[in-house]
Amino acid sequence: MYRIRFHGRGGQGIKTAGRILGNAFFHEGFQVQDAPRYGAERRGAPIFAYVRASRDVIHERGIIRHPDLVVVADDSLVPVPAAGILEGISRRTVLLVYSHDTDATWQARLSTSAKILVLPPPKKPTEVPEQGSVGAACVGAAARLIGVISADALRRAIEDELADAGPVVVRENVHYALDAYEYVGEHQGLVKEGGEPSARDYERPAWISLPFEDARVSAPAIYAAATSVEVRTGLWRTLRPVIDYARCNRCWWVCGSFCPDSAIDLGDQGYPQIDYDHCKGCMICVAQCPPHAISAIPETDAEQEQPAEIEP
Amino acid sequence: MNESHLRRMKDLPSTHLLGAGTPMCAGCGGLQALHEIYDLLGAKTVFVNAAGCMTLLSVYPFTPFRGSWLYTAMASAPAGAQGVRDALDILIQKRRIGREEDLETVVLTGDGAAYGMGLSATSAAIERNLDFLYICYDNEGYGNTGQQYSGATPHAAKTSTSTGPSGYAGDKKDLFAIWAAHRPAYVATVIGAEPLDLARKIEAAKQLRGPRLIIALAPCPVGWGYSPEETVNVGKLAVKTGIWPLKEYIDGHVIHTKVPRSRLPVEDYLKVQNRFAHLFTPQRDEAMLVSLQTKVDDYWKNIA
Repeated sequence: MYRIRFHGRGGQGIKTAGRILGNAFFHEGFQVQDAPRYGAERRGAPIFAYVRASRDVIHERGIIRHPDLVVVADDSLVPVPAAGILEGISRRTVLLVYSHDTDATWQARLSTSAKILVLPPPKKPTEVPEQGSVGAACVGAAARLIGVISADALRRAIEDELADAGPVVVRENVHYALDAYEYVGEHQGLVKEGGEPSARDYERPAWISLPFEDARVSAPAIYAAATSVEVRTGLWRTLRPVIDYARCNRCWWVCGSFCPDSAIDLGDQGYPQIDYDHCKGCMICVAQCPPHAISAIPETDAEQEQPAEIEP
Repeated sequence: MNESHLRRMKDLPSTHLLGAGTPMCAGCGGLQALHEIYDLLGAKTVFVNAAGCMTLLSVYPFTPFRGSWLYTAMASAPAGAQGVRDALDILIQKRRIGREEDLETVVLTGDGAAYGMGLSATSAAIERNLDFLYICYDNEGYGNTGQQYSGATPHAAKTSTSTGPSGYAGDKKDLFAIWAAHRPAYVATVIGAEPLDLARKIEAAKQLRGPRLIIALAPCPVGWGYSPEETVNVGKLAVKTGIWPLKEYIDGHVIHTKVPRSRLPVEDYLKVQNRFAHLFTPQRDEAMLVSLQTKVDDYWKNIA
């Protein structure tokens, strides 16, 4: 059985990518399961899609713990623990990352025994797929790496899945998928089917025993205010707003009032401070700041630079 | 609104009471309006919600609020508010809680409930002169389930259930007029992109008792089809083109609180949203654009 796990963000067509791959397998005579999983059904939030395909009946259910192929459509998710990209991968897993960085860079970064392959976005800016079509490029590469899916089955699967979106969208997505299919041609069949685990191989759930306690002790959160701050929505962000305090004219209200997420408060000096644990990266503050004191930088750069978060 | 102490932008709150970390989308216009409103209403509130995007705000064990929350069926939020208000009144009457512990009862629903399913319950609550505040975040469709059309969807907008070449065939209900026709204590339209106008109206509503109802137009990046950073621009265009009149009903009169001096063409608002893209490509639907503009012109013809 083939087990494929897609990782991406809401809005990148990850759920659709899973369905396309499932359809393509189906056209090749496989039995197929495909299912997306999302916590927050929101643009920018981490999303998973699972595809199982087998020549025989599939009895396995649920999320894929030991994938043969992991497809990462957004490389900014790799360091995000909640995205669980490296979960359950082993020497025989192939990790396909859609990224500007090279195979070697990722191999060094991740120090994993899995085989890592990079699918780079096209060099010409005009050729780069829009966010919603990144999934299609990834699925094209995935199909070739699996090796049992023909270009024709892939095309038919995209046509079926995207028929409602109209011929232009279908044509674009077929184009992105087939380009990626060609690009990884030399690695055709790199992904090998995993075995059928017996019930004995299933891991025990990691239960934790808790003594029975009064609700006030065991569930204190019921009585607490604004507990939502425990949810770190900052990981939704692909761009980071950064304030240049030299240009901030302490207007008092613009970025803080317009930020939908209460993620910008004023400090003692009247300078705004961005709460990066929760900023979802909508960039309203960047668009609205009158003296253009807030700029957007890619989150991947921000992680390396660690810009000053404190006011001057 | 003359007695408001909110005269200028610097009078707006600079720290925020509504907790971060909610599951609302990046750039949510509804959450923007809600946090601006909540900063002024404060923690001594109990929210009664009907099914919609914002139901996800308060999912155990997480809540962005500093007070209580009650979730009701889609059509029932004002009825739920009646129960909460009655319970508070009885507790105060029986001296089980002091007057200082009283809470403002706030209904929070989307347009699906406000314009459609919950309209009858709202009508009845106003009829009973229930002392409550109703906040409707109006993103002009059933946003949480993928933007199916609702009673608030504007004419010609594409939704996931109005996919034909001319979009939604119906017209957006005039909920302001429907609510005002009940002669409640207060009705107002607001938008997160105009925080001072919004704040003055919330302050005004706070001073009054009885049914007070607020409709916040909530630009929705996902449902309307625009990039999240444009939420405030889209909201400002809604006001500047005259599509979303900012007004209030008080003491039997309707007052427009922000009359755009020279209205921008409605087209400026439509063309930045993918849900209206079919009016511009592959060719301009001139007849539709003219008729949408005419509707807005006709509205403003009789106003100041």
